[in-house]
Amino acid sequence: MSSAESKKLTANIKAYGCAAKISSAELAQIVASLPSFESDNLLTGTKNFEDAAVYKMSDDLAIVSTIDFFPPLLDDPFMYGKIAAVNALSDVYAMGGKPLLALNVFCFPTCDYPLELAQQIIAGGAQAVREAGCLLVGGHSIQSTEPIYGLAVTGTVHPDKILMNAAARADDAILLCKPIGSGVSFLARKGGELSDTAWSALLESLCRLNGPCLEIAAKFDLHAATDITGFGLIGHLHEMAQASGLTARIASRQVPLLDEVEHCAEQGLVPAAAYANRNTYSKVCRFAESVPLALSDLMFDPQTSGGLLFSLAQSDAELALVDLQKSGWKASIIGKFIDGDAGVVEVF
Amino acid sequence: MVEKLDLRGLLCPEPVIRTKKLFDKNTSDAVEALVDDDVCVANLQRLAKSLKASCKVTAEDGFYQVRIERALPDQSINSSNSNPSLEHSHNALSLSQLASQPANNNDVGSVIFLTKETLGEGDAEFGKSLLNIFLQTMLQSGHMPRAILMVNSGVKLMKKDSPFKKVLEDFKNAGTDVLACGLCVDYYKLKEDVQTEQITNMFAICEYLGAASKVISP
Repeated sequence: MSSAESKKLTANIKAYGCAAKISSAELAQIVASLPSFESDNLLTGTKNFEDAAVYKMSDDLAIVSTIDFFPPLLDDPFMYGKIAAVNALSDVYAMGGKPLLALNVFCFPTCDYPLELAQQIIAGGAQAVREAGCLLVGGHSIQSTEPIYGLAVTGTVHPDKILMNAAARADDAILLCKPIGSGVSFLARKGGELSDTAWSALLESLCRLNGPCLEIAAKFDLHAATDITGFGLIGHLHEMAQASGLTARIASRQVPLLDEVEHCAEQGLVPAAAYANRNTYSKVCRFAESVPLALSDLMFDPQTSGGLLFSLAQSDAELALVDLQKSGWKASIIGKFIDGDAGVVEVF
Repeated sequence: MVEKLDLRGLLCPEPVIRTKKLFDKNTSDAVEALVDDDVCVANLQRLAKSLKASCKVTAEDGFYQVRIERALPDQSINSSNSNPSLEHSHNALSLSQLASQPANNNDVGSVIFLTKETLGEGDAEFGKSLLNIFLQTMLQSGHMPRAILMVNSGVKLMKKDSPFKKVLEDFKNAGTDVLACGLCVDYYKLKEDVQTEQITNMFAICEYLGAASKVISP
């Protein structure tokens, strides 16, 4: 067996999936000097941390444009490709849109790994794109020192149905549609501390396209939406609260968790990126003393292919919750938005 | 005995897993681990907490020494930290500050919680009449409830042609919040029959029940 065949996909990877994201503080420095691009047709700016760009073509059509990619988070190449694609498609859903076209973004060291691995990665991605009813129409690939895979996705949305971060209202319920803890799960699995059952539940959750979730929720009057990824539940809640000028109040025990993650976090299986998120967002959140450390760690845990988070009237949220749970979504109403300091996240 | 571990250069989660294994074997009371990044320090502190052990961190030149020691039964956890940026940075916030305010902060009073369309079990028609009589009597007694909350088949009292329509209207006019669970109204397809302002949600129902001085559920 050559070294190329024996090398594991995650052999040299330090940060898994969305944990590889550049921290929001660093990102702010990097883009600080960028000129601002404005147009009357551009419906999203960069200041409200939207999940994707939305450009109005006509009164009843806008295009949604987004890109997402990351290094391998597990050794199974097909599964890695699939999760990366599901994660990339999610940003279109988070804007209320429907994905139309996808392009592969692919970096692969052909000297280190057999080509078959590359085939499987993009085959996994293609399966997700097909499931989403979207077309995979091309892409771009280069050599690199570590594999990176993801998609650039173009979708469409009706300009009146765009789900912005900035449109949450006071007294809205906050509905989270997937359990959190994928960052802790991957670290625990690497340390041999996550059971096979919990591992398969994790992969099932990460491979779940957010499209059907949006379809169910869109029957109700959704005010705002985002998806939970690299900045963790707290980071993305902060962004929505900040953009909407509200305070988010979260009941920590209502937050759905992946199997075994609370125990793993208690034992110190917390990824570096969760600590980075804690550092970034500790100024804007207030935890009641009763919130266990493991739970707060999980709320900072970077998520890959995380769930959609909706802001909508409490009564609608309860009806949507029943429908979502009927369709197998581990959704939960985790709190509400209230009038208060913009961007603050209170957890009790 | 004290075990010494040099975990420098190892990537997370290796340091925490190796330390945990030593304690799992139950041969060590204390472990002195050398690690070189602050994430490992924070994770070892968490491990120590889950083991109910004390944890002392000393910053050396370019690395940290973390000493984890199983506490004696009545010894409280003593965690000192040379790296405050990673310390559990919860700002204290009391529960009372966070609890949602009930609609009326002071004396919320009693709440009538109707979970079915009858009073007690037995003959269904008789149970309905009995419930009607109960509500009328309650109205006349002057013990005005703060709210009447209807859930499950209880929401059927709100039907257009319901014999309960009048008594519920009287309660409403007397200042009682007469509210039906939205999920239930939806389930029994009574949306047409119930005015929107009388539809509530489980969250509000829980707030009422939690804040009530007395819950009457006949």
